[in-house]
Amino acid sequence: MFKYFLKRLGYMFLAVLVISAITFGLLQLAPGNYLETQRLLEKTMTDATVSEQMKEAWEKFYDLDKPAIYRYGKFLVNAVQGKFGPSYKYPTQNIEDIIARTLPISARLALMAIAVALVVGIPLGIIAAIRQNRILDRIVMFVSMLGSSIPAYVLAVLLSWALGVALHLLPVIGWGAPVNYVLPVVALALGPIGTVTKYTRSTLVETLNQEYIKVARAKGGSFFQVTFKHALRNSLIPLITVVGPMAASLTVGTVFVENMFAIPGLGQYYASAAINRDYPMVMATTVIFALLVMGMNLLVDFIHAFLDPRVKKSLTQKGG
Amino acid sequence: MAKQKTADGHMKSRSHTMTILAQYFSNKAAAFCAGVIVVLVLMAIFVPVFSPYSYEDVDYTALYATPNAQHWLGCDAAGRDMLMLLCYSLRNALIVGIGACAVQFVIGLLLGGISGYCGGRIDNLLSRVIDIMYGFPTFLFNLILVLLLGRSLFTIFFAIGLTSWAPMARLVRSQVITVKQSDYVEAGHALGASNTRILLHYILPNCLGPIVICLSQGIPAAMFAESGMSLIGLGILPPMPSWGGLITTGQQFILSYPHMILFPALSFAITILAFSYVGDGLRDAFDPRQIG
Repeated sequence: MFKYFLKRLGYMFLAVLVISAITFGLLQLAPGNYLETQRLLEKTMTDATVSEQMKEAWEKFYDLDKPAIYRYGKFLVNAVQGKFGPSYKYPTQNIEDIIARTLPISARLALMAIAVALVVGIPLGIIAAIRQNRILDRIVMFVSMLGSSIPAYVLAVLLSWALGVALHLLPVIGWGAPVNYVLPVVALALGPIGTVTKYTRSTLVETLNQEYIKVARAKGGSFFQVTFKHALRNSLIPLITVVGPMAASLTVGTVFVENMFAIPGLGQYYASAAINRDYPMVMATTVIFALLVMGMNLLVDFIHAFLDPRVKKSLTQKGG
Repeated sequence: MAKQKTADGHMKSRSHTMTILAQYFSNKAAAFCAGVIVVLVLMAIFVPVFSPYSYEDVDYTALYATPNAQHWLGCDAAGRDMLMLLCYSLRNALIVGIGACAVQFVIGLLLGGISGYCGGRIDNLLSRVIDIMYGFPTFLFNLILVLLLGRSLFTIFFAIGLTSWAPMARLVRSQVITVKQSDYVEAGHALGASNTRILLHYILPNCLGPIVICLSQGIPAAMFAESGMSLIGLGILPPMPSWGGLITTGQQFILSYPHMILFPALSFAITILAFSYVGDGLRDAFDPRQIG
């Protein structure tokens, strides 16, 4: 099995390499550059123009006078060592320092959202499965549909209006105090809650229809014993597989939610980098996000194989 | 196949499509949402035609107006009629949603079909390409493509379609592989049908169900992607309105003029929800086994 995961790891790094090459190539082809967008912005404020000398010095600072292939090679060599150099917008800071400062904020938001989703979603799914096709099930399923189909930032808007503006319960904006985490995390978590609820319900319903559950019931197991001890255990393992895609959609979710609530996380830096054409920053964040998404999926598959011997067997049989 | 008695007493078999439609409309929520979508599409087409305002009309006497008799849903900070802004947002979202799905459909069908039908080395290569597309941070790739292609309605749905075909390709591939091994395809080969004929008349019709489901779920996903791009500031160019843009501007006024953010958020939520329900309804209709 480890051989299989080593192979997956190899593919992952290959994919990141291809992704970084495509991103770099596309950015080379894109019209307009950082200086131009900056000049457009600055013209509205001052009459300052960029002198030829300044432009040359700037280009030299970022190796823009060298061929693109050299810059890509340098990017790769540095990226492997975890270095990304200075960004256009923040020439005095290294991108890796910015990432080290902002990624934990985004990661904390995403992890808290996943935790909330599991804590709330699993019980809701169990309730829905037990009361299958009754009114309680219908209500839970409708709410989870609301959560999983409406984008996180629309929910953020509606939540911050309802709880912040109408009821004055929570601060709408601001960052630093723990209470500022509540609205963003809830907005991020509602989607995953919907997914977890739906998934728990459908796997539990499936397990409850299995033969061995009938046997357990026939042998005199009580309702709770059968549902929680026999059925639930077996239906929760596949839930791990939804955590991977969930983490991927949360990385995008954090970009929006951080923008909505003005949270200084990596997502917000990515968005502003794309708008400002801060290419070094775009490259670095794209690679980091790709690594995170694929690494998360790999980890999830690994844990799944570890917990479920059937999955492990199917992986090794596929040619290991 | 479902049998039905006709007026003159003969047994008449219902076609496959009719069975699926009947299955679909037996789901009340899905049927209702299909109606909602019809209304939304009609609104997107006809409200701008009959309304006295256009999305560009600025009314300086109605800046920040709350809902009233003249402006049913109020006005925004520039005095533009909110109902018109919403109708145009809806229109743009529908164009983006359907356009992105068309792009996704063409690419996914071609790559998935070739990969599944040819097999061997070509399949191996294309599968790797599909895998890499899966790993791509899609939304970030969208933004880069828009930087490259420019910001117009067309480039936006093109970019979204270009980044979202991987699930479709994987689906078509697995579907083609399953159908390819069936007896009737072999019979077709034996009777001398050409490869094109087998692909178009034997395999494609049998892949249609999953493809329809995938497409119906792709529309809200594309709308979501577009509004997200507008939210960041790289979506549809203003003054053309978009839900994402309206929500970002509205957020500045959430304390003083909540109608400027509530109406866009609610109408967007309703649209996405309706499309999601239709997608789920179609999935259940095509595959009744999954209803649990």
